[in-house]
Amino acid sequence: MMNASLEGWGLWLALAGACLGTYICRAIGVMLSDRINQDSEIFRLLSAITYAMVATLTVRLILFPVGLMATVPAWIRILICVLSIGVMVSKPTKRLVPALLTGTLLMVGYGIIR
Amino acid sequence: MGAIRPSLISRVFIQLYNGLMSSAKQPHIDPKEITLEESTVDRFKSRSDAFWSGMRDATGAPAMVLFAGMVGFGAMGRTNGVDGWFTVLSSFLMFALPGQVVLMEMVITGSSVIAIALAVTLTSTRFVTMTVTLFPQLHEKDRNRHLYATVHLLAMTAWAVSMKEFSSIEVKHRLSYFVGLGLLCWLISVPGTILGYILAGFVPAAVTLGLVFINPLFFLLTFTEVKPWINRIAICLGCLLGPFFTMLDRDSSLLTTGVIAGVIAYVIDRKWIRKRAGLIG
Repeated sequence: MMNASLEGWGLWLALAGACLGTYICRAIGVMLSDRINQDSEIFRLLSAITYAMVATLTVRLILFPVGLMATVPAWIRILICVLSIGVMVSKPTKRLVPALLTGTLLMVGYGIIR
Repeated sequence: MGAIRPSLISRVFIQLYNGLMSSAKQPHIDPKEITLEESTVDRFKSRSDAFWSGMRDATGAPAMVLFAGMVGFGAMGRTNGVDGWFTVLSSFLMFALPGQVVLMEMVITGSSVIAIALAVTLTSTRFVTMTVTLFPQLHEKDRNRHLYATVHLLAMTAWAVSMKEFSSIEVKHRLSYFVGLGLLCWLISVPGTILGYILAGFVPAAVTLGLVFINPLFFLLTFTEVKPWINRIAICLGCLLGPFFTMLDRDSSLLTTGVIAGVIAYVIDRKWIRKRAGLIG
């Protein structure tokens, strides 16, 4: 398993590159935020783009996981998400933690009985 | 409500003023709402009060979720035989779980350094727009060079909470609240990763499954609390188009889906939704 993986300097160079790339994105955000007013049209557009990106990332983590989560059938993952959202919206406020627990415990439960 | 006290009336005016100054999303404020939200009028007494309140808010669901996610990440590093320092340092220096997972995946499969840096940067492009949507809501005085350090604390968890809470926090206290929130999330991610790295192998696979699942589930659940219609449409389109673009090319899918779904949502909002009063969230 380890024969394909990066070792030695390559490993640390990859880490440095990843850290730098991530920070640059954050810094560009600070630079641009100087010139953007929160009441402007561009702000509305960028908000929408951000929410769409975050939604894509979430769907990707649920539908196209890697490693251990990939061994769980997709329909189980989707079913647990639907049930958790059901708990979340059953009452308009303060349902985040119960909904999170529902989803997590169902997933652990599936892991035990499979 | 009891009898109306004079202080309440002055608070109503302060709330009105703050509301008008801080966001144009509320063109008119119903007095009934103000009395209901009385506790948010002077939400924090001072900067340190806001800071500690941010920390307190973080100790609930956000830190729990992030901690679980980092434990899962640490376990992923150990079970794949990746160096412990590498695993922990990536949490400390990157502090972006999805990017870290991409980095880990590609290191394990032995991709080139350039390909890794590029893929991680593409996954992190969301930070550009996340920062651009969050920081203009801060006080003018707080928007200085120090933000280049503060921005490291910005991750999806703190962003989602701040976007929700900022509207009910006075402009001058928002930065302190955000720093308290983000700092705890950042500090908790390192022990979380270490714990996962140590525990991996001892913990049954079922528990690890739960730990890995809690992160996307948290994001999914916070979507139900997003109010403006333009952002709701963007989220729905992102969920629908995301799988398609992920199958096309995994690394660039965030950027392509984000831009396409975001622009469509913006156009729908501008052409149809904004004209109908009352639909604007």
